[in-house]
Parts: sequence; structure tokens; C-alpha cells
Amino acid sequence: MERRKFLKNSALASSLLFVPSFVKAFESVTTERFGFKRLVIVQLAGGNDGLNTIIPYNNDIYYNARPRLAIKEGIIKLNDDLGFHPSLAPLRSLFDNGELSIINNVGYPNPVRSHFRSMDIWQTASGADEYLQSGWLGRYLDANGKKPYNALEMDEQLSLAMKGEHFNGIATNDYRVLYNTSKDPYFKNVLNHYNDAHLSEHNLGYLYQTMIEAKSSANYIYENTKVKLSQQEYPQNKFARQLKNVAQFINSGLETKVFYTSLNGFDTHANQLNKQKRLLSQYADSISAFVKDLKHNETFDDTLILTFSEFGRRVKQNAATGTDHGAANNVFVIGKSLKKAGFYNDLASLSDLDDNGDLKFEIDFRTIYATILSQWLDADDTTILNNSYDKLNFI
Amino acid sequence: MKQIELQHLYWRVGFGIHPAEYKSINKSRKSVVKSLFKDSNTFSPLKVDVSYFNNISYKDLKDNPELAKSVREKNVKKIKELNFQWINQLATSKELLRERMTLFWANHFVCKDNNIVFIQKYNNTLRTYAIGDFRAFVKAVSKEAAMLKYLNGKQNRKNKPNENFAREIMELFTLGEGNYSETDIKESAKAFTGYNHDIKGNFVLRKHQHHNGQKTFFGKTGNFSGDDIIDIILENKQCARYISKKIYRYFVNPTPNEKHINAMTEVFFKDYNIGNLMRFVLLSDWFYAVENIGAKIKSPIEFMVGIANTVPIKFERKKDILKIQKLLGQTLLDPPNVAGWKGDKAWIDANTIMARLKLPSLMLNNAIISLKKHGDFNDSFRERYFKRNKGKLPFKILPNWDTFSTNFKSVETERLDTYIIQGKINKGTADYLETLNKKSKKDYCIQLMSLPEYQMC
Repeated sequence: MERRKFLKNSALASSLLFVPSFVKAFESVTTERFGFKRLVIVQLAGGNDGLNTIIPYNNDIYYNARPRLAIKEGIIKLNDDLGFHPSLAPLRSLFDNGELSIINNVGYPNPVRSHFRSMDIWQTASGADEYLQSGWLGRYLDANGKKPYNALEMDEQLSLAMKGEHFNGIATNDYRVLYNTSKDPYFKNVLNHYNDAHLSEHNLGYLYQTMIEAKSSANYIYENTKVKLSQQEYPQNKFARQLKNVAQFINSGLETKVFYTSLNGFDTHANQLNKQKRLLSQYADSISAFVKDLKHNETFDDTLILTFSEFGRRVKQNAATGTDHGAANNVFVIGKSLKKAGFYNDLASLSDLDDNGDLKFEIDFRTIYATILSQWLDADDTTILNNSYDKLNFI
Repeated sequence: MKQIELQHLYWRVGFGIHPAEYKSINKSRKSVVKSLFKDSNTFSPLKVDVSYFNNISYKDLKDNPELAKSVREKNVKKIKELNFQWINQLATSKELLRERMTLFWANHFVCKDNNIVFIQKYNNTLRTYAIGDFRAFVKAVSKEAAMLKYLNGKQNRKNKPNENFAREIMELFTLGEGNYSETDIKESAKAFTGYNHDIKGNFVLRKHQHHNGQKTFFGKTGNFSGDDIIDIILENKQCARYISKKIYRYFVNPTPNEKHINAMTEVFFKDYNIGNLMRFVLLSDWFYAVENIGAKIKSPIEFMVGIANTVPIKFERKKDILKIQKLLGQTLLDPPNVAGWKGDKAWIDANTIMARLKLPSLMLNNAIISLKKHGDFNDSFRERYFKRNKGKLPFKILPNWDTFSTNFKSVETERLDTYIIQGKINKGTADYLETLNKKSKKDYCIQLMSLPEYQMC
């Protein structure tokens, strides 16, 4: 097509986008589903101590390196070498049913021990020496998303992971607030009058377009979320509330592919034992309630839950009965159709550590992303991750 | 200068201007720009009190975990304080251009640190060089404690090089991607080995860790120091072009114009003087061209400080200042990574657009955006409803409408849009605005601020 003609046609097409009557049509359109499978991300922010989460209870090096910190009692033994922290008891049945896969020694080359930088690397799926401004889930949306509500974060602020080059998910810790804001009659009046097609290529047109999308997304979520579906009891904490909302959205059949949740406070430099015990309880109790809720509504089969932290912690305890920033760590994958449940691989050697005294990584976290993108979300992982990674076989 | 040009200039080098200020300004472009520079001749550093940290040594921190913990907590608190002080300075300083350029450089030489002493010092270094010598600026940044930590400069040692800083100085700070080779990175990293700092944030060169030998960089061979490397980088005109383009996209128009950027490059390459470059831009005719007016999407800071510039506000709870920054996606001193905030369209998504449209009414008018039409008596029902909900508002902010009334006294309410909005208003939206009751200047101001058009400057 000639350039002039093309421009003319695209101008026409975009002008159609902005006739006021379209606003209404836009809101009622039900898009064809682009697959039922959903991904729930759980981010343990601060750097969870993986060694005290999945404990090498038969390993002397572990006990020698952590005289005041090693877990000695109440370990839930899962095989001859490794066991759960006592707080993870609620996840025992998932492990036994083959609904949990624990991938050990996950990390990346030249690990960075700064929280924000390492979190950045995990969220953008970059290498340690590159800086990307879009997230891996955002780029998935770029390629496969249609509406902002295809990806929801249960927070006020959108994580970098959920920001694409052209497309962003929605962050909301209370979808009712978003809805109430968007239905201010003044905005409705403005949109009903808005009629200029020619601005659509410019920044102002982009603002109006985003406003229309935000309004229709807020409507969509509000109108399609069925509040009374869940009979499941959840623990009383912020993380549990996030998962409860996610379950509500999933069980209501919202066309959302990716949900993002986060549990904070894992940066245990001092007095780690009680802090981690409390946090892991919150995690396990909430996840357990969440899975029950999904099973009850028959949506668990189509849901995959990925739990990660930006890094693990040093093998040796520090002077303050805590641990400092480390490197490789374990990742949990929870779902119904796992190919390889239980332990995906053995824990790395505790005697062959890197120069900092941290676990060496064996599995690049991007191979996990690539596997999930291609095997679970039917997406083109090579484009999204900008590289071709080997796939693992946990799903 | 015309009203529209003045507003344009002041939105780009400051956060807007109100009519009461017009009178005190001489009307020729040359003298307006001249006085902008004159006002920025002085320098006001941020001054968060850090005396608490004065007598603490690294050994104290190592030996005393309790102290280390309280130092960490103190730092978090003090960095919040620095954030408030910075925003206050943006909103109130007479050194407009210097402050505006400091904000620009903070998203160029991007850095973040959890040590208040280091990050405050860093921020004031940005302020010191903001409109000065770019060459000295890059050299100063390369020796800042916060930067040495942020890009691992202090881990860069003779026998164990860390190339992070060497890579980023070229990729992000001076030349842009693709204008150097991997060998250039490796060789220049050697020149920066041994860079370190003491606990007060003063630069220290650790001689034993410094590579004291030949390096071959951009075709030159010698025993180069870090400063030498920066000099060699600046010999490449690409550096002047890279910075000119960034300044153009920030101060003039997000869509680059090669002709104007070329002209800027010629000016900047002569002496790498930032002030001279800015003077050239602000005096040129094209800066005031219609296509550049209202062409830029405001950053959250521009948006928030801009509102406060029109209607002065007082935060009853300081933490609300942080809350708003977080909500809009830009918390000063907390950049996403060394590439900084992407800016422009990236500021806007479904969340932030709704937040931006609703914020002016939330901050200034108990969340009410009036719907009164010509001839309507009132919508007292709505007002009563919102009043009942006042206690539930997410922010506690006191707007000063009296100052607004005084500053906008000379403006007829019907013409308020030409003062509040930069650039064109969508035709349909303008038709809707026509139908609205213009009895209250305050109501109309809120209505204008609650439009997509208000996001532009």
C-alpha cells in the first residue's frame, strides 16, 4: 500500500475509535477469550532466606554455618535431604498431591545483591548488565493482551514487571475505588463531547484513548466481579486479602491472564527467626486458602502460581542473628498439571559457594519464564524475552 | 513576549506562571531569558540535618548491630525528609532554571542510595553543575560516593574489574548505545579502578587498587586516569549530540527535530557549557513555535508542583506528598533503575490517567468537580454528599484559594482556560466547557484541571 493511502486509511480507522457512540459499544463488547489459563505471581520482596525455607536438615555445613539460626525443630521432612520450615505445614498436602514443584538454585550470572536492582532484573528478565524499561509480563501483554485488565496487580502502584513497551496492566488494591473514580459524571460528560479524530496520533489523543480504556476497564471489572462466590475463609492480613481478590476475579471468569501479588518484609538482616516464621505462615496460610477457594470453584486446573524472591541469603549467619543478601534461591510453582512435581532438582552444594559465600545458581530464572510463557500461556517466549532460552519440563 | 509564549517558557523552565507575575517581568524575550539566568546565579543546596551521623565510623556499625539498625531507620526517615525538601524547593525557589535543570539531570545521571549523607551530597552536586560546565559535571559525578555505590565503582579493582560504571557512563551518560565497543568498556574500566569514598562521602583513590598502566581507548593509548577517559569521550561530537537531543526532547518537544538538534550540537560542542546551550534554546524562535506549545505530557512532579503553583497548597500530613508521587508513578530519589523514568507516554496508563484526572478536585475541592450549567442554581445535593465524605478523603490538604483569587484577579473567568491549559483544547471538550456556568473562577479552574488537556504542557 502506498504510504499516503495507508495514512489515510489508518486515520479513518482511528477516527472510528473516537466517535462518542463508540465509547458505549466499547464497554459492552465481549472480546473473544484468548485462552483460559491464568498466571498468578507472588513476589516475596526483600530476599527470602531460601535455606531456612527449604531446609537441608541432614547437612552439617548448614548447621555449622548457622549456629544460632538453623532450624532444628519441627522441620517437615519431604525427602531424605530437604524439609519445609514448620510454617509451611499448610503446603504439605500440595506437595504430597503433586501440585507443588520446588525449583532449587534459581538465579542468573553475575548476581546483583542490591534489592532494587535485582528485583529489576527479575521483573524485566534482563541480564545483570542490561537495563530494560519494560517488564516481562508487560511485553507479554504487548504481544497478547487486548485490554488493560488482562493483567491486574493487587496494589496501588504498577510494578515494572507489568509495564510493556506499549501496553500496561492495571494496578488496583480496591477495584471499587477505581470504578467510583472513573464514573464521576464530569468525566462522562467530557467523553460524551469528545469528538476530535485527528488528534489520535498525538499525545492528547493518547490521553483520551487511555481515559476511555480506563473507564471501560473499571466498568468491566466492577460489573463482572461476583462478590458472593467465595465461601472460603482467608487469614486476616494484606497478602491474604490480595489473594482473596484474585480468587474473586478468577472465579468470576474475568478475562485476566496475569495477576500480580506481593508479600513484603523478607529483608531479615537481624533477628530473622521470628520475622521469617511469621511471614512464611502468612504466605502458606494464604496460599492454602487461595488454592482451596480455586478448587472449590473448579478454577485451580487453569491457574498456575509462581512464587519468587529477588535473591536468597548468605549461607553463613551474620552477627545480628540474621542473614545478608545472597544469590541463588528456590522458586515455587503451584498448579494442577505439573509434569515434575516435588523437587525439580537437588539443592546446590553448600561447600562449593561463590566468592561471597552464596549458593551458585544452576537454573536461570529466565528459563522458568520461557517455560511458563510457551507451555502455559501459549506465547512466543523468544520475542517476549528477546532471547531463546531452554525450556524446563515442570509443566 | 506574548502571554502564550511566556507561559510556555515558564512551564518548561519552571512549573507555570500566574498572571500576577506577568507585570514584574520585562516583556522582551532577551531580557526575560537574561533574568532567568540571573535568578539562577545563586545556589541553594538542600539541607537535611545529618549531624546524627557525624561521629559514626564503619567500625561502630560493624561492632554494634543495634546502632546499625537505628542508622538504617534514620536513613529511611531522612531520605523522606530530603524528598519533601526537594519538592518544596521546586515549588518555591526563585532559582527556577537551576532547579528545573537539577530535576532534568537527576533523570540523566540517575542514582539512588539508602545513605542520606551520600544522596544529599549527590543531589547538591547535580544542583551545583546544573547550568555549568558539563565536563566538570561528568567528572564530579564519577567521584560521587552514591554513584560509586550505585554502579559498583567501588568494587572496580585492578585485579577484579567491575565494568558497570564504565559501560553506563558511555551508554547512558555521554554517548548513547552503539557508540563504543566492548573493548572500550574494558579498557576504560581500568582507568576507573581504585575509585572509592570514605564514610562522609568524600572521594578517595585507593592507589593499590588502581590500574597504573597503559590503556587503549578510542584508538588512543596511554596511562589514562578516569578524568582522561572523560576528556576523550567528550572529544567525540556524538556526546554533544546525545545531550542536545535529550535536552531537546525534555525542554522542547518529545519528538526530535534533527535540524534544531544539529544546531544545538554545534553550540554545545564548542565549550560543553550547559548554560550557553540553554540560552541558545530559550532564545531561538523555534522554541516558541506552535507545535512545541503543550506538546509534552507533564511528569507527575510537573503535574503536582504545577497545581501548587496555581493554587498554593499545604499538606497537613507530609506522607501525603509521598503517597501522591507513588500513585502517579514518580517518587523523587527513587528512580526505577539507572535508565531513569522513561517519561512522555510512559507516564500514562489506566491507573495514572484516572488518578491525574481526579487529583485536582481531591486536593483542592473535597473531590467535587462542579457540573453546574448555564442557568443552574446549584448542585447542593452533590455538595452535601461530598461534604459528608470529606473525612474519607485520602489526603489532608489545605488549598489557599485566596492567593489564587489575588493572582488571577485580572483574568476574566471565561478566559481562564488560556491560562490554565497549554496548547489546544479538543473541540468537543471545548463545546462542553462552553455550556458550563462560569460564575465561580474556582469551579472553572478545577474543571479545567480535571481534563486530559491539563496533562500537557
